[in-house]
Amino acid sequence: MSAQLLTLLLVVIVALGFDFTNGFHDTGNAMATSIATGALEPKRAVALAAVLNLVGAFLSVEVAVTVTNAVVKLQDSDGNPMPSLTTDHGSALLMIILAGLIGGILWNVATWLFGLPSSSSHALFGGLIGATIAGVGWGGVHWTGDSTKLDGVVGKVVLPAVASPVIAAVVSMLATFLIFRITRRLGERLSGDGFRWGQIGTASLVSLAHGTNDAQKTMGVITLALIGYGSWHSTTTIPLWVKVACAAAIALGTYIGGWRIIRTLGRGLVEIEPRQGVAAQGSAAAVILASSQLGFALSTTHVATGSILGSGLGKPGAEVRWGVAGRMVLAWLITLPMAGVVGAATWYVGHLVGGGVTGAVVMVVVLVALSTYMFGKSRREPINSTNVNEVWNGTTAVVEPSEPVAA
Amino acid sequence: MFSLFLQDAWKVLLYSLLLGAGLPVVYALGVRSLGLASGSREVEGGAGERHRLGVALATMCFVVVLAGVAVGLLYILAAGQGKMLSFEHVYPTMVPKS
Repeated sequence: MSAQLLTLLLVVIVALGFDFTNGFHDTGNAMATSIATGALEPKRAVALAAVLNLVGAFLSVEVAVTVTNAVVKLQDSDGNPMPSLTTDHGSALLMIILAGLIGGILWNVATWLFGLPSSSSHALFGGLIGATIAGVGWGGVHWTGDSTKLDGVVGKVVLPAVASPVIAAVVSMLATFLIFRITRRLGERLSGDGFRWGQIGTASLVSLAHGTNDAQKTMGVITLALIGYGSWHSTTTIPLWVKVACAAAIALGTYIGGWRIIRTLGRGLVEIEPRQGVAAQGSAAAVILASSQLGFALSTTHVATGSILGSGLGKPGAEVRWGVAGRMVLAWLITLPMAGVVGAATWYVGHLVGGGVTGAVVMVVVLVALSTYMFGKSRREPINSTNVNEVWNGTTAVVEPSEPVAA
Repeated sequence: MFSLFLQDAWKVLLYSLLLGAGLPVVYALGVRSLGLASGSREVEGGAGERHRLGVALATMCFVVVLAGVAVGLLYILAAGQGKMLSFEHVYPTMVPKS
């Protein structure tokens, strides 16, 4: 196997690894409320979400190879990589993509460790922006669009990130308020069980939309790497195996379930009951679909979090844990720049050891070492399907050890 | 660019209010109608009438909600094919993205 082919192989594996983290990081967006109210057993909820993500990923018939063009200038408008990056089987391009993906993964794993629902799309874009700045320079980043359309980092990422949680919160707040008005005279049974199917239905829509939206980002990135290497030439279609592998990776990640994040979303932000679950998930689904219809890019995570928060604001007398909300907002603000810093640092590490296949191998070793370290830390205070719904104390997702029973 | 953004955000908010708040509210009305139907069984006189009315209202509400969900599924299907939905014939059709 040639050195360049080995680099390409590493890029593909790491990209699938990113897709996997994208899956478990975002399980909670769809399923946290249903798990918190008991509408679905935790294991069943993640299985349902996994299947719907898989189906959603295959529904992405037309995948844009130009997905990264919104933020970085690694390709021309047709989707072909810049000629300056494709010499020597695209090794310069592969280095940037690899470093960017590693930045995204490390940030996703770190925020998962702290149980913070940050945006996987921001992590990916941030990583790629950082790696591009390191590899090409500041000019390689597409910062703003012109006056005719929303584009660039500001138009496609930053502004939607500010607006979408607010829109989702307003819609969900209104929905919650009205639902509670309408059902205030209903007994326990109907206002609980009656909303169970509504919860499952709306959560399923969010899952399906997530599969179509997010899996195709990784599909686009892998295809870009293949074009850079020279083993794929079409910029309008993607290889079938890429689609199958990405769909499987995101579904598997979803099935593993990011329990720490599910716990924060389902229990940490507000106490959720079924009626709020329907309002929150229904407005999340509506905002996601309305945005993609209008070509307004956004993060599923921001929308889901905003709408869960809104369901707390709209319920008469409900308490919102603003400390937890504050930590989340902070995580959103720093996700893009921090993933960028990690992506850039990773690129420099690879560059310092001489780039090429050596650089790629060293970068992947760094990724594996740091991820293993963080995974080890998570084992000390594990959160899984058995304790995900424990009573929330303090501001973090960590489950307090139960008091020893007096002898 | 900022005014473009506000226009888009405004549209997203309007559509989301219609679907995201509207449909859950219709669903809630459906559940309430079910309450009307089941609660009236124990009431003497005219109970059958109220029961039938409740079931009819609930069915209507849930049909509206299901139709909304079907449109949502079509949105997802269309987006996956790089298309969008058009409502120019009232019922939704898939058209290329403008």
